[in-house]
Amino acid sequence: MASVTFDHVSKRFGDVIAVNDLNLQIADKEFLVLVGPSGCGKTTALRCLAGLEEISDGRILIGDQVVNDVAPKDRDIAMVFQSYALYPHMSVYDNMAFGLKLRKVPKDEIKRRVGEAAKMLGIESLLDRKPRQLSGGQRQRVAVGRAIVREPKVFLFDEPLSNLDAKLRVETRTNISKLHQQLATTFIYVTHDQVEAMTMATRIAVINKGILQQIDTPQNLYDRPDNLFVAGFMGSPAMNFLKAKLDKADGKLYVDGGSFRVEVPADRNSVYAGYVGKQIILGVRPEDIYDPHYCPPGIFKQPVEGKVEVTELMGNEIFLYITTGEHNLVARVDPRTGARMGDRTQVAFNMNNMHLFDPDTERAIR
Amino acid sequence: MERQGSPNKLLEIIINTVIYLFLASWTIIVVFPMLWVIVTSFKTDKEIFLSPWQLPAQLMWDNFVRALTKANIGLYLVNSLTVILPSIFFTLLFSAMAGYVLARYEFPGNRIIFYAFMGGMLFPVMLALVPLFFLLQSMKIIDTHFGLILVYIAYSLPFTVFFLTGFFKTIPSDLIEAAIIDGANNYQLFFLIVIPLAQNGLVSMGIFNFLGMWNQYILPLVLLTSSDKYVLSQGLAFLQHQQRYQSDWSGLFAAIVIVMLPTLIVYVIFQNQIQRGLTVGALKG
Repeated sequence: MASVTFDHVSKRFGDVIAVNDLNLQIADKEFLVLVGPSGCGKTTALRCLAGLEEISDGRILIGDQVVNDVAPKDRDIAMVFQSYALYPHMSVYDNMAFGLKLRKVPKDEIKRRVGEAAKMLGIESLLDRKPRQLSGGQRQRVAVGRAIVREPKVFLFDEPLSNLDAKLRVETRTNISKLHQQLATTFIYVTHDQVEAMTMATRIAVINKGILQQIDTPQNLYDRPDNLFVAGFMGSPAMNFLKAKLDKADGKLYVDGGSFRVEVPADRNSVYAGYVGKQIILGVRPEDIYDPHYCPPGIFKQPVEGKVEVTELMGNEIFLYITTGEHNLVARVDPRTGARMGDRTQVAFNMNNMHLFDPDTERAIR
Repeated sequence: MERQGSPNKLLEIIINTVIYLFLASWTIIVVFPMLWVIVTSFKTDKEIFLSPWQLPAQLMWDNFVRALTKANIGLYLVNSLTVILPSIFFTLLFSAMAGYVLARYEFPGNRIIFYAFMGGMLFPVMLALVPLFFLLQSMKIIDTHFGLILVYIAYSLPFTVFFLTGFFKTIPSDLIEAAIIDGANNYQLFFLIVIPLAQNGLVSMGIFNFLGMWNQYILPLVLLTSSDKYVLSQGLAFLQHQQRYQSDWSGLFAAIVIVMLPTLIVYVIFQNQIQRGLTVGALKG
């Protein structure tokens, strides 16, 4: 049993609160990703779990055991660092075997474990080399191999793909996901890259300024963000946020942004009724804004007019950067669109996927 | 355009010529005496006086044999090594331990201890000679190699700690944390991870201290009084004094070469290492 629990965990560095009352339950064999901008406290939380930082308040449990006062080496965890942290004076074999030698594991057993891990990662031919003789991707695999041989209860990853080029990052992402399936062990993975989070996690925990914003499956997080931060952080390009007012006319609700006025689907009226006449923030993802000529059928579409300031050709789609009055928005439209830079154009909002946020609390209105 | 560039180019040539002339002169001033000593060590006594600036007619290797045996240079060489090798070993060991803790751990008094070591660098040897003599005498280790080793270590620690502290700060924290998670205790961390990583710094300091200790004269002169315990620098001075009566000038020159050569060879071989090691530590300190 290798569940992990953060129970009201806080970490302070002087006056700075790096982790603020974190409550997190990670199930056995789960792949949990901690994601957030740089400096949000995700790495600090991971280091607290590893025992590299002493927590200021709260408890951390691995399984049923409180590990606050347990030394890192006794927590039965293994960590892959952003810089890989391979011992430069040791060969790949010795790097992988180091932890086992310290634990006085018999030589035969060490050889077996290192051999199996090397085979799993495709690094058998590199065992006699020193780290400086390896490429970035190879070093990364050795770092993972060093963790695997320990057969820990929990694997910790601290932004392990940051130092790889884009292509290698994509390839390695897949490999890590496969590894998780093979090893069937709890993975806790820290990254600032929401694409990594979305593609690898069973659940994602979004952290900002030391505070947990939301924890959910990738799709739920994407479809139902709890607040402005999560809504803006997940998705690329980011969700469009338009300051507007919620109006009611003829029994229908409208979002009035000055330069646009869009109707709210009827099934949402009861949810938003309490905000009629108040200021709100409308959230619409770029992929929910269409060229009206190429809308999918059956969506509740609402027209919005504006001027195309910039177009970015992506091949399979075009990004239109549009201004409408005081609002700026990004639309991901069909590449067949006739809209060009400088044109006045009309786009269609898919209001089925609209989000409304309270501007004071920044929370989603549901 | 060429006309505008000419005065600047001419000035540059003049400046470079002056600089190179100065450097060449300085090189000659420094190198010439050493070369002359080496050439003279292969001459007979007669050649030394009659043709001091000419090359020897034949190479007198017997000068070196006499220096090693009759002039006891061999004994002094062994004594020097007996004192210097343990001094370097323990200087590096203690300095590495102190430097590592000062570099990587925050605790009350860290800075005070570091500045105390730095203060040790400012303390002139001359001032301590008399107190040192009486101190070693009271400890009954005066006129012993062991006593001299302790003094060498004490004098070498300040700079070596200062240097290695800066060097240890360059070791990435990730490596140390990885070792901690792998299960290393403090001693394993220090000897299996930190020391190998600090190899360059340790070698640099080893060479630096070797050069200093090899040429050290005033301390052994005061603290070693028995001639059978003399180190090379003392032995050479003793030999030079003896030559006034024995006139074995060729043997004396051969003895000087024997003393000079190890440090010369060490520096020539390791000069890149010494310069690299010194500057890395200095910049990061």
